Amino acid sequence: MIAFRYTKTDGAEYLSHLDLMRHIDRTMRRAGIKTAFTEGFSPHPKIYMNNPLGLGIRSVAEYCSVESAFDGDFKTLFNAHSPRGIKCLGFIVTEENPNYAYTIESCTYTVEGLDFDARDLLDRDELVITDKRGRTADIRRRIYGLEHEDGKLRFTLGCGQNNLRPDLFCEIIESMYGGKAENLLKIAAHGKFTF
Amino acid sequence: MTVNMERLRALLLRVEKPSRYTGGEFGAPDLKESAFNFCICFPDLYEVGMSNLGIKIVAQSLLNRGHCADYCFTPYKDFGAGLKEAGVPLYSLGLKKPLNEFDMLGFSMQFELSYTNMLYMLDLAGIPLTREARKGGNWPVIAVGGPCAVNPEPLADFVDIVFVGDGESVDADVADVYLKHGGATKEFYEEISRLDGVYVPALEHKVKKAIIADLDGAVFPDGFAVPNCESVHDRAVIEVMRGCYRGCRFCQAGFIYRPVRQRSVKTLTGQACSLIANTGYDEVSLNSLSTGDYPDLRGLLKSLKENLPENVTLALPSLRVDSFAGEFAQNARRISLTFAPEAGSQRLRDVINKDITEDEILKAAESAFDTGYSSVKLYFMLGLPTETDEDVEGIGRICALIKGCYKRKKRQKPLRISVSCSTFIPKPFTPFQWEAQVDETEIVRRQQLLVKSPHMKGVILSWSDDFTAKLEAVLARGDRRLGKVLLYAYENGCIFDGWSRELNKEGWLSAFERAGISADEYTRARDENEVLPWDFIDIGVSKKFFLEERRKAYAGEVTGSCLASCKGCGMQKVCPAAGGVK
Repeated sequence: MIAFRYTKTDGAEYLSHLDLMRHIDRTMRRAGIKTAFTEGFSPHPKIYMNNPLGLGIRSVAEYCSVESAFDGDFKTLFNAHSPRGIKCLGFIVTEENPNYAYTIESCTYTVEGLDFDARDLLDRDELVITDKRGRTADIRRRIYGLEHEDGKLRFTLGCGQNNLRPDLFCEIIESMYGGKAENLLKIAAHGKFTF
Repeated sequence: MTVNMERLRALLLRVEKPSRYTGGEFGAPDLKESAFNFCICFPDLYEVGMSNLGIKIVAQSLLNRGHCADYCFTPYKDFGAGLKEAGVPLYSLGLKKPLNEFDMLGFSMQFELSYTNMLYMLDLAGIPLTREARKGGNWPVIAVGGPCAVNPEPLADFVDIVFVGDGESVDADVADVYLKHGGATKEFYEEISRLDGVYVPALEHKVKKAIIADLDGAVFPDGFAVPNCESVHDRAVIEVMRGCYRGCRFCQAGFIYRPVRQRSVKTLTGQACSLIANTGYDEVSLNSLSTGDYPDLRGLLKSLKENLPENVTLALPSLRVDSFAGEFAQNARRISLTFAPEAGSQRLRDVINKDITEDEILKAAESAFDTGYSSVKLYFMLGLPTETDEDVEGIGRICALIKGCYKRKKRQKPLRISVSCSTFIPKPFTPFQWEAQVDETEIVRRQQLLVKSPHMKGVILSWSDDFTAKLEAVLARGDRRLGKVLLYAYENGCIFDGWSRELNKEGWLSAFERAGISADEYTRARDENEVLPWDFIDIGVSKKFFLEERRKAYAGEVTGSCLASCKGCGMQKVCPAAGGVK
């Protein structure tokens, strides 16, 4: 099993999750890295992605695992055959499938243009929002961390079970404190198998 | 100047499938501006255009000669409106260069209902739509090519050049002439108008279709740009043959792509292997008008199987199923079998020279059912010349026979039959080019006849919209006067006319009215002595042959395949099957 961290930048942020999966599959094929296939009527490659990133959000912390016996320089070979913006930053070889969609618990992002008192938000016990369908939810417990650093807001949100979309979070901040979120970037994911 | 994509970020985040508009595909050539900058414009969405092989061939031929060949597709309305609002001109995907900064724009016209999309693209690029309005200005040369170019008259007001026939070399030849004259001068137009395959509407001259003699040695890309988002035919494509031996009398492609030329097993295997290696696709499609007629199909399939990596599947469109193909299909995990009988009765199939019998259809269905298929797709046409209610009912009969055949197999899985009935459209350069199109009310009546047929119970039936079919017929056999109608229709907001949910019938009707033109004038039967708007184009097949075929159609005589014997269509000198080329 090869697990790798990769980017979704330089135009690749506009790819849908399904298209991204196809591009990773094709990159492997072009690179000649053989992946295992599922059994059955229509076999498909055993590629396991992390949870979908919202369309248009850039990231330098996407994770993926593929079942493959390949044992060479994965990063160099992958990057020689991958589309622009989908570039491997590092990889590990592992016995256990990291299955990032289930094991990543939170993600950290940076964004520009949201200048407000982080303390004010963190001191709240609850933050109830109403979605488009009229359902209410307390999202405070999904916000793990929040700080201003070098003119950017750096924040960590729950992922998976405790998920909060970063673009939605930015919209909430805009509506509460004003400002205009720009250059949202996912910079890290946290879980048992991230690196 | 290049368009700053960062400036478009907010727009991209707002529209459907933004990766249509960002370019940077894997395998797209690293473009640089050159002395001659060409942009291929495709008058349909990215995912449709990215599947087109013709534009890839044209681009490759230009690149091979050191020219720049970029791409642009029709943006969907959301992005188009956003560009207008932001004051950003339509740009090419490779260089992100506004279209109006290119030397030439080449529109690939695949079907008539995309004509208004060409106007939409020009408009979004800030380029005046008509040749008249561009006169004296420093605008790109506007060219069109593709199958619709065989009757370019409805587009004559808008375009400077029409490419007729094979695009492998003539496009690049024109580029060279352009550079020689330092631009689109009077001398440039005069010189290119003497080339085979080039028509300059302003000069109103006769033109002969461009033909490449050697398909095997012709330009072919060894890699494709892999689309950012899934395209309609997202796979590697090899062109096995060009042209078709069968000569079905309704089929324009069967005549305008003559003579039939083939690529060798060796060339095709090499092309398929490099495409798979360079794209990472897991499927190769063997394209041609009738791949089943490739003389060494068995050898080709064997060679592809042996040389392609495992897990790569082969797609064989429009294949006539015989035993070995059935056996092959088994491991190609096809689940649906497709036939195109085109007409419901043997009599009418003879009229259209569709060389397929009910027996063959049933035998093929039976062998397909034996190999595990449980789904059949059938293509028919309604409104063919001489069609009677009996012929229409014949469609139901075939369905009933197929159902019976499946029932005898006592399979658990229910059979799925889908029948598609499109409306016959008389096209230029076919033996039916003089025929009337059956009017809308009558077509609807025949469609209803089928809908109500007891044989069609449980069959998934689809048919074409009557107005769409009429519009296609009008434009296909149109003349220069239709330019006004196109312009008015575009002004009324008509774009993406081929999509049922976008079709703006009122917009078209009012455009015809404003131009003082009756659509019925174009769908009527033409007299054999009438000068047809496309007569000035020499497609290679003689009018005498078309007339003879028309006579045989009415007599119910089948002509059969060119492989059996030469039928003397007029292309003997250049046709390999007729022994015309060594």
